[in-house]
Amino acid sequence: MQNVLKALRANLILGGVAAFTVLLFGGWSGSMIGWLLGTAVGYLDTHEQSIPHPKVGLRIGAINGFALGLWVAAASLVEGLILRPLSGQAIVPLPQDLLHAVVGLAVTTVAAALMGAMQGLPRRRSKLAHQTTHGSLSRRQGTLLILAAILLFFPFADRMAQTGWIATVIQVLIFAMLALGLNIPVGYAGLLDLGYAAFFAIGAYTTGMLSSPHLGIEWNFWLVIWIAAAVAAVAGLILGSPTLPLRGDYLAIVTLGFGEIVPIVFRNLTEIRIVEPISSLFATLLNRPELAICLVGCEQPFNLTNGETGINPIGRPWLPFIGSFSSTNYLPWYYLVLLLVIFSMFMINRLRNSRLGRAWTAIREDELAASSMGINRVNVKLLAFAMGATFSGFAGAFYASYITAIFPSVFDFSVSVIILCMVILGGLGNMIGVLLGCVIIMSADRLYLPQFAQVLKGFLNTTVLPNIANPALRDFLAISVDPIQMRLFLFGLVLVVMMIVRPEGLVPNSRRRAELHSEDVVANESLADVRSVG
Amino acid sequence: MTLLQSEQLTMRFGGLVAVNAVDLALEPGMIASLIGPNGAGKTTFFNMLTGIYVPTSGRLTFQGQDITGLLPHRLTELGIVRTFQNIRLFSNMTVLENVLVGRHCRLKTNLVGTLLRPPAVRQEEAEARQAALSMLEYVGLGTDRANEFAKNLPYGDQRRLEIARALASNPRLLLLDEPTAGMNPNETADLTRFIYRIRDELDLTVLLIEHDMKVVMGISDRVSVMEYGAKIAEGTPDEVRANPQVIAAYLGKEDAPTVGTEATGAEAIGSPAEATGTAAGEQTASLNHRPNPQHISSDRGSDE
Repeated sequence: MQNVLKALRANLILGGVAAFTVLLFGGWSGSMIGWLLGTAVGYLDTHEQSIPHPKVGLRIGAINGFALGLWVAAASLVEGLILRPLSGQAIVPLPQDLLHAVVGLAVTTVAAALMGAMQGLPRRRSKLAHQTTHGSLSRRQGTLLILAAILLFFPFADRMAQTGWIATVIQVLIFAMLALGLNIPVGYAGLLDLGYAAFFAIGAYTTGMLSSPHLGIEWNFWLVIWIAAAVAAVAGLILGSPTLPLRGDYLAIVTLGFGEIVPIVFRNLTEIRIVEPISSLFATLLNRPELAICLVGCEQPFNLTNGETGINPIGRPWLPFIGSFSSTNYLPWYYLVLLLVIFSMFMINRLRNSRLGRAWTAIREDELAASSMGINRVNVKLLAFAMGATFSGFAGAFYASYITAIFPSVFDFSVSVIILCMVILGGLGNMIGVLLGCVIIMSADRLYLPQFAQVLKGFLNTTVLPNIANPALRDFLAISVDPIQMRLFLFGLVLVVMMIVRPEGLVPNSRRRAELHSEDVVANESLADVRSVG
Repeated sequence: MTLLQSEQLTMRFGGLVAVNAVDLALEPGMIASLIGPNGAGKTTFFNMLTGIYVPTSGRLTFQGQDITGLLPHRLTELGIVRTFQNIRLFSNMTVLENVLVGRHCRLKTNLVGTLLRPPAVRQEEAEARQAALSMLEYVGLGTDRANEFAKNLPYGDQRRLEIARALASNPRLLLLDEPTAGMNPNETADLTRFIYRIRDELDLTVLLIEHDMKVVMGISDRVSVMEYGAKIAEGTPDEVRANPQVIAAYLGKEDAPTVGTEATGAEAIGSPAEATGTAAGEQTASLNHRPNPQHISSDRGSDE
């Protein structure tokens, strides 16, 4: 019992998140979030200790999972018995509600216990492994196995629990790819890129142009996605080349300009008419316009991007047995984007732990010293931009095909900033951190906030507003209490708090942490020096 | 054959002539020093040798090849590598990674190799790691701190690591910019021995900028002296010490000695007790004998 109390306190934040989720979504969402966060708890509470045996890990995991499950169960009951009637949602019968709570508790405990048990496995497969019953897996393999199971079964669980999260999860994964890509120039090579959405746009528009009836080219998605990535990479090189002599703030401004230019170009490439320049010059000089030789868009100006209306429809991937991916069935999309994210992570990890990755870090640390040590800074920087752009090209291709329509307004500055925020919030230079930052920002933005707005509105309409006599106040409340409108405010608030409390991000890169930490020390020292002199 | 030759090498920054028509020739295997008062243009000269500055005029040849104006990384590939006056390690990379970065230009893995990681690439990486570890062993840092951040090493070890990083690129010519700055006499003696060792064992040529006259006079086969951007003297340590122009540069002219240069000059040459406050003529005499001959010869002796 005491253990459970301790665990309750230890998992306050995750418990709060779980409870909040259940309060908002209700129903079987407790089991879903319990499954996900229970696994997280099982990992977090055990992985730093050395657990001698899976059974020990199982017990620790189960205790902590049970504590988390209590949050879930309590929230489930509160949601079903109090919040639902108050916010005007359909009432759930008590036995059903109890069932939600109990199943949530059970699922959370089991998930945490399983993950905890995996942390009790030996770190490496020992030579005696075949003699012991629990020795066939290493700790790392066990952990990955559970994660793989979660990712694999998520859509089915989502369908069973009727939570309907999968559409958001696909969005999260698209942005995960973007954030991972941006992490290359910003996190690894230290090149601040404020125009990253441009590459996303280039990937998406390449896909749009090559697989839509708009231009009459309808190539296969599986080919187009590679072309999109390659085109984005080339765009990365093009953006990279003028920024080479620039650093820090100046570089950021140039990338910002690039990020502004690209969507505007796509918006305006609607009436292209290209005239051969020399003959055009003669035509002007001789005042005989018919002399100019027209190259493109002669009879009628050529419409490349269809402006604000965008390109629509865009072709979808096709696979044997599955057929063409449809907009009603999320499953193939989910697995495709999951595959792309895993592929990106795998490749980026290889890049990071290589000669090239070291060169990126060296350039970030000290460009002059790096080039004196034999690093070709031109190549290395260009490659950082190009590689970052490549992954956003994949993301763009997937996005275009998934939404089947693209508009220039989707790729404006705020997208670049949000991706950058994911990278910084999670922890610059750390892939897990970046993913976490992405999941938090995207799910808060696309999942929690709309649901919160809906529940709040229901609550206001059913409980609060009818009891307010003053009509002016009633109207004011009905209009102004809208979290969706406060979206950017809330977002900004989170960033400010985050940067004060934990500037290195949620899961910092060890380098970055060392850097920020030592800067504190240095700052204090120099202050002390100044004081002692003064 | 001359390893490195500079002919009329000049660097102007606007109206300021930082390095003025300097000729310098380094024979393979020699340890040469470049000395001169602060602001004489020594580091600028180094920066031209390593491609950080492009000379305004003049010519640089390395092993018979014209290298004037090549980029730093090309020069490193050719075998010219340097350390910095104020240590410029990659402080948030580990000790091992620092050395691996030094090895960068000797590794061949390209982008495709990085992504596909065929066995050849794995092997190259493993070998590089091994070579970096043995380099750490070689410079006396040991391998047990290989995974610490470079900035957490003590000062003397950081200097060593910087040399290890430079040596990892298999250079032919090593340029050391004030390698003993901020070191105590013991560390300085260690480092002096170490420079001899790498010269002999790794078949290197060493050019160093140094202010510690004990080190300069003890270690150098040849000393070049710069003042106001120009080379004013060159020769063996004994010749340089006897050169009236050098004495004037360090101690001020006989007729108009200024207090500031006198003090720094005397300290730099290494016999402050005799030099300060005495007449210029006596200072000349004090410069003509080695400040601490036993100390230096014992340094050499222990290594040979």
